[in-house]
Formats: sequence, C-alpha cells, structure tokens
Amino acid sequence: MPLSFSAVAKAIAVTAAVAACAAVSAAEPAHPDFTGLWTGHREPGQGRVSGFGGPQAGLPLTEDGKKRIEDYNKLLGPERANPAAYCVDYGVPTVMELPGGYPLEFIQKPNQLTIIYEVENETRRVYIGERQLPPEKRLPSRDGYSEGHWEGETLVVKTTELLDGQDQAGHPHSDKATVVERFSLTKDDKGTKLISYEATLTDPVYYTAPVKIARKYEPLADGFIIPYRCPDEFWYSLLDLRREQVKEGKPGNARMSDVYKAREALE
Amino acid sequence: MSTNLRKLVVAVSAPALVLWGTLASAHHSAAQFDFGQRITVEGTVKEFNVTNPHTEAIVTVKDAKGTRDWRFEGHSASHFFRAGYTRDMVNVGDKIAILIAPRKDGGDGGFIQAFTVNGKTVGFGNLSPESGKPLDSANATGSSAPSGN
Repeated sequence: MPLSFSAVAKAIAVTAAVAACAAVSAAEPAHPDFTGLWTGHREPGQGRVSGFGGPQAGLPLTEDGKKRIEDYNKLLGPERANPAAYCVDYGVPTVMELPGGYPLEFIQKPNQLTIIYEVENETRRVYIGERQLPPEKRLPSRDGYSEGHWEGETLVVKTTELLDGQDQAGHPHSDKATVVERFSLTKDDKGTKLISYEATLTDPVYYTAPVKIARKYEPLADGFIIPYRCPDEFWYSLLDLRREQVKEGKPGNARMSDVYKAREALE
Repeated sequence: MSTNLRKLVVAVSAPALVLWGTLASAHHSAAQFDFGQRITVEGTVKEFNVTNPHTEAIVTVKDAKGTRDWRFEGHSASHFFRAGYTRDMVNVGDKIAILIAPRKDGGDGGFIQAFTVNGKTVGFGNLSPESGKPLDSANATGSSAPSGN
C-alpha cells in the first residue's frame, strides 16, 4: 500500500525532529568553558616554570638550531635587544608562558577560542571544528594558524604556519614547526578553578626531539585587562615633531626617520 | 638642553624636548642597568610618562655636580597600575624620590624600582624588567637571554 502524503510528511517530520535533537546534543556537549581572565599559577614553593621559554641550555637542538642561535646572538648587540622592546608579538608557544607576567583573556565560543595576551594585545584565534581556513590561504605569522578539536574535556590545538624565527628568549623555530597544545580545567587544593596547559613543539629543522612546556593558569585577581598599545607611541612622536614644526610656521613634514634620529641623538 | 638636543633641533628643525617622554624605551634594554645595586635619587619631576613597553621619567636633579636632567626607565604601564600607580599621582613640578637600579656605565639615570611622591610610594617588589617576575626567581632559571619586557 502506497504511503499517504500525510504519512510521508509525518515520517519526514519525525526524522527531522530526531536529527534536530541529535544536532543540538552534538553542538552543545558539556565542554569546559575557558572564558575569563587568567594569570600564571605557581604551586606553593614553586619557582618560575621553565620550558621552551626557559634556559637555552638543555634544548635538543640540531646543528642548524645551534647555528641559528649563534647567528641570532650576533644581532642582539651589547644591549641584548629583544622583540618586546620593539612592541613585537611574543609568538607561539612563548606567549603562553606569560613572559613579563601579564594576564591572558580567553573568550570561548563553540567554533572559536580567542586568546588575548595583555602585552601587545597579542591575539590568537583558535578555530574549533569544521570551519577552517584552507591551508593555501593561511598567512604565516608569529602566532601561526591554530586549529582546535575536543578530546573529551580537553581542547587540543594544533598550530602550524609559524614563521621561521626566534622567540623573545632567542629560541628558534622553523616554518616546519608544529605546536600541539592541550587545555583542560582543573582545581588547586583550595578548589580554585585552574587551566592546565601543555604544549609540545616538534620541529625537524632545529630540534632533534619534541620540546615540552607545562604550566597552569589561575583566575586574575583584579579582573581587568589594561590597554597596551606601545606601537602608538611612534605615531604620537611623529605628530609631536610636526606640531613643533607647524608652531614655527613651517610645513609639518617630519618623517618617521626623524623620530628615530631624535631618539638616537638622545642616547 | 644638551648638546645632542641642539643637534637634533638643527637636524629636524623642531625642538626635540617633546620626544624625551616617548620613544626611549623602544631602543633600550635592561642590560644597561645594574640590578644588584640600589640608589635613591631626589629631584623635581619634569616628565613622567607611564607608557609601554617601558615607562620614562625625566627628573631635574641638583647635586654637587650641578643641576641637570636625569632620565629614568621603569616597568610597563600595566605593571605601574598593578603596583598601585594611579592617574595624576605624579605631576610636573612634584618633588620625587626614586629608588633605582643605576646604569652600569655610571651615567645619570637608572631603572625605577620604587618612588615616593606627595607622600605616596609605589614599589615594584624587585621585579625583573625583563621577566616581570622577582629577580631572585627569574635568575634561578639561569636564563641568559631576555624573555620579555
């Protein structure tokens, strides 16, 4: 007996309803929510946690890796120049070690975890799930491209498309490097919510073995991120120079190179 | 005005004093300061710019060598505010006492470790300007390279 139109419609409706329920439960599993402000956590009596951002000695460097560090050290000058003094992002994975001791903000949505480090407003976007930028459209950067997925209650993030270069501590990584991070929630003895963080850097060019970082974050006590906009100072300095020129009845035409010259002259 | 400043004015046809408070930090590193030493310098605030990546202060100091401007660096604006600094705490013309890690070359200036102005004191707990962490702890890692600002 042929199915009546209404029976078919009913069957479709029931199927759709079941599918919808399945879709809802798949879209809203009980994943941990990392949203909030976080700062570095130390266990009682624990010193600074060192990992990739720690001492250079002891890292499993290839010959190319050692040479890369030697070459880089020759560029730092007597003042031991470092990227942060030039308002350059820390980059993955170093930024996650909270160099300088600033807080992190996590903003979590189902398909994206946004991580903002106070310094430099350094921003990472971790794309979670199916929606990903095609590899050929990913621009290499100091923070790379981060793709996340859930393994139970752990968010696993794979970062590629890193620039060949050095982090703030002078540690190199190549553009073949991959960083795999694992984020999960835990608690300390007092029941305070913590994020447990692990990262493993694998880089066949500069390292003979994976390098690991592990640390924890705790809620930020004072609860606010402070604006950090140091590149702006260059623009304000240029305006200052031009303002003085205009005040003297001259065209305001100082260049950024004049700003640099001014600084050099003062040192 | 120093000789260097005069040269600058000639070079860019503009007084350069406005630049005292802005870009110095971008060119500096903490490697030039001796964090094993502390001295206190007193003077009158000429500029006090709480900025990133490093704060800069110009203080007019009178001592046996005469009257001149010293330039100091300090932690980032974020660290200043978290250490208790508030807006308008320091104004041009204020008397200030600054505890510094002096320059290694013995020149005028240093890295701000604490300061007292108008009866209020802000201190940075012996923080490393590189790691933002207590110097003893930062040194304990044996890290030879700056790891941040």
